[in-house]
Amino acid sequence: MLALVAPSVLFIALFFVAPLGLFLFRSIDNSEVPGWLPRTTAALAGWSGEGLPDEPAFRAVAEDLAALSGSTALPLLGRRLNHNIPGFRGLITGTGSRVDLSRPGRMREQLIALDARWGEPLYWQTIRRERHVVTPFYLLSALDLRYGASGAIERAPAESAIFLGLLGRTLAISLIVTGLCVLLGFPLAITMAGASPARANALLILVLIPFWTSLLVRSTAWVILLQNSGVVNQLLVGFGLVQKPIPLIFNRVGLYIAMVHVLLPFMVLPLYSVLKNIPPELMRAAASLGAPPATAFLRVYVPQALPGLVAGASLVFVLALGYYVTPALVGGPGDQMIGYFIAYFTNTAVNWGMASALGTLLLLVVALIYLALGRVVGLNRLAVR
Amino acid sequence: MPNTSRFWIVLAAALALGALAPPDAGAQTKLVVGNAGGSSADAERKVFYGPFANANKITIQEESFNQELAKIRSQVETGNLIWDMVSTTAINVATGCEEGLLEKVDWSKYFDPKVFRDVGGVSECGVPYLFVSGGLAYDGNRIKEGPKSWADFWNVTKWPGKRGLLYRAEQTFEVALMADGVPPAKAMEVLAAPGGPDRALKKLDELKPLIHWWKNGAESINLLASGEVAMAYAWNGRVASANKTNNLNLKMELGAGHVSGCQYWAIMKGSKNKELAIKFIQYAVTAQNQADFVRVISYGPANRDAYALLTDQEKATLPGQHLDKASLQLGKLYLGFWLANGDSLLQRFVKFAAQ
Repeated sequence: MLALVAPSVLFIALFFVAPLGLFLFRSIDNSEVPGWLPRTTAALAGWSGEGLPDEPAFRAVAEDLAALSGSTALPLLGRRLNHNIPGFRGLITGTGSRVDLSRPGRMREQLIALDARWGEPLYWQTIRRERHVVTPFYLLSALDLRYGASGAIERAPAESAIFLGLLGRTLAISLIVTGLCVLLGFPLAITMAGASPARANALLILVLIPFWTSLLVRSTAWVILLQNSGVVNQLLVGFGLVQKPIPLIFNRVGLYIAMVHVLLPFMVLPLYSVLKNIPPELMRAAASLGAPPATAFLRVYVPQALPGLVAGASLVFVLALGYYVTPALVGGPGDQMIGYFIAYFTNTAVNWGMASALGTLLLLVVALIYLALGRVVGLNRLAVR
Repeated sequence: MPNTSRFWIVLAAALALGALAPPDAGAQTKLVVGNAGGSSADAERKVFYGPFANANKITIQEESFNQELAKIRSQVETGNLIWDMVSTTAINVATGCEEGLLEKVDWSKYFDPKVFRDVGGVSECGVPYLFVSGGLAYDGNRIKEGPKSWADFWNVTKWPGKRGLLYRAEQTFEVALMADGVPPAKAMEVLAAPGGPDRALKKLDELKPLIHWWKNGAESINLLASGEVAMAYAWNGRVASANKTNNLNLKMELGAGHVSGCQYWAIMKGSKNKELAIKFIQYAVTAQNQADFVRVISYGPANRDAYALLTDQEKATLPGQHLDKASLQLGKLYLGFWLANGDSLLQRFVKFAAQ
């Protein structure tokens, strides 16, 4: 028994749990700052955070940066601190390449002369706060929080406080897509379950064809169909249904259409497998006991279909939460979901801590929803027979 | 090119041989260039990459690069170079040079840097090779009475429809200030003054629901050609070559004010093909090749000697006569401002666009 399970457990541990854990750890990992600024972080540990630190701290930062000069560590450190304060990068690289340790006189004057920002407490406070090997910085940012000047946690200013709103938008879009998938998928699955095997197979293939097509192809196909000069709008205008093309793409409407199309098979397939096993005699029995069709459907059919509905809906919902290619292709700027920013921080801004923090946030939300669902519906009731 | 006629014979021979013999790609050196794609890359391929690769028996591989400095940073910082050189903007050259991301070269060993003085000169990290004007563009077949100013671009009652704008802070902020009534030549001054970026963002906010952000030049043309947007910010060479090759009737209103500057060749720090890249740059900025490039895509030449090789008709396709209406992407104010604030403003801009 153990020998049979071991390979898959090992596989999951090695290729799923371990990388996932490592990536999640990045949301709190801060080893670069104390690692590359050992003297500075030690010197700042005893500093109160008021005003400017003493000469030893200036000397320590000069020695640390001079030691990194010429290596790739200097720009990398700059990039790390740039996440906290945009522009910090230039301060680090500029100072590291120009500081002169052998020059007599106080380092404080030399550094401030090199770059006036060394005379601002903000930069020192940031290094002091980030002196530990782990940092709450990214997770706080993902929750639109930050450290204020006094050191207390406060809400980020409105222009940069976007992640909670984005999370709300992501949840709303995913919920609506799930709802639309239920509305479209449930009747389809019922029809498939009740059809003759040949017809059911034909319908199944129709559902599966989009499933087999590449996500990118499907998304761009919608752009071609739905754009202002696209087939759909030309037909609408040609038949005189609308005066001028209606915007169907690069907005929320286009996003819903494309996402529902992509995700519908994930709703239909689990639902179909459950509905197929509901004995048709039960509905007849309900009717013979006097239940009107609507009552029979709601009280006999739906409860039996529930496991399939919940399985399909949660599959669609969870997949929708992580969408980013489709919104990027068919949505407008106001339709981007949290996945867009995870990709932005991974690829463009190269801020993996932030990408990881947003990923952690999304994971936690999914876990919470799953737990809540379990509380309300009861997970054991949902087991697919 | 000192020995032009011989070069063409060699090139013709190389092409003829190339047509006969299968290319031996495995043994060839490969120069990887990050460029902006679309019709400008097509023009570069026709005039620079193709002939140079054939003459030197190398292959030139192109990669898409939408001027995200972070892509250069991550390659150089991790020591994982994918590109050897890039076609990039003045501000990326300046930032990359300061951060040690680009190779510093004494260009005077390879050509006379004076010929680039009119467009701001060479930087030790980059050589200008084209002069581009970004301005107000629309489809002349769809809009008969065209917009005349950036304020018109913002006027969605008179000209309904979406607007295409560049998904970057740099250039887009300058344009927003022009729409807010700032004369083009003063746009950088206002932007660099306190409250400048706020004013630009506020102006963009007015138009925001109707903005379709584009990330590469080819997109801007597709949006205009398909009628998805009524007007767009677009680069003049792209517009001209779309009109030529796709038989479109796109118009540019450079009198509304435009953002103009050079695109540069720059070499990634640590590239194994540094010498080859220098040789390529030397080749691409000769007066002859610069003039040939103008004929293909209508971007201005960076090498002033190229003008002597152009006919009056060819010169007329260039937007040089509107320079009084330009916010120039060169000079101390421009470079200093974007060098110090580029990162933070880009971050602000991305968040603004997503809100």
